[in-house]
Amino acid sequence: MSNAAQNTATATAATTKNSSTNAWLSLLLAGVFEIGYALAVGGSEGFTVLTWSLVAVVFFLLTLYALSLALRTIDVSIGYAVWAGIGAVGAAVLGPLFFDETLTVAKGVWLAVIIVGVIWLKLADRTKPAAEAVAPAPSAGRLADRADAVRA
Amino acid sequence: MHWLYLAVAVAFEILVAIAAGKAEGFKNRKWTSITLASGAAATFFLSKALLTFDVGVGYALWTSVAGVGITVLGALFFGQRLNLHKAIGIVLVIGGVVGLQLSGSA
Repeated sequence: MSNAAQNTATATAATTKNSSTNAWLSLLLAGVFEIGYALAVGGSEGFTVLTWSLVAVVFFLLTLYALSLALRTIDVSIGYAVWAGIGAVGAAVLGPLFFDETLTVAKGVWLAVIIVGVIWLKLADRTKPAAEAVAPAPSAGRLADRADAVRA
Repeated sequence: MHWLYLAVAVAFEILVAIAAGKAEGFKNRKWTSITLASGAAATFFLSKALLTFDVGVGYALWTSVAGVGITVLGALFFGQRLNLHKAIGIVLVIGGVVGLQLSGSA
């Protein structure tokens, strides 16, 4: 892409880009909060340990808040997929660090299958209403790429 | 017993998804309350299940089986279509759960 074209594109996209960056930051934060929630719920031992229980409640509210912020901009299905994926992978990897647990190869492989399954499932909803709204964008992008290729 | 706790936690998590959908961005008070109450109940029973399950295992089982439940209920009662994409996801989750169980990791 020529510099001039790039600058115009960047300028027009600037406002949407900012809100989209913030939304993705919120989503990543929500994922991190969700890991904290999972670990704290585990550590609460059936809500008999006070500190872990309070931490769980705080993370529960934080993850809900951050997720709802992110989903104002990001497509719901993509948001849920990323959020659930970060939470599940994080809990599986960090669980053994915090508790008396082991992550064996068999466990890791089957957990990966489950997590890929749930991410895949969450993404499936995108094919309903969002597909129609989003459909023109990729083709426009592809056209722009092709124009760039010709220019280059 | 931990499988029963997990099942109850999953049922409440499915209710969270349904209620959150009706809460209109948390503007509808009644459904927002139901969302939060179900979330609290789901969390409580998840913590009971996690007394036995590893955190990573129990958490993954919980979200993924709830995800399958939401998809299946959506197809049965909320007029959503069960396409090949969703079917693959369901098969992956169920396969993973069975594999986890058969390998003695759950």
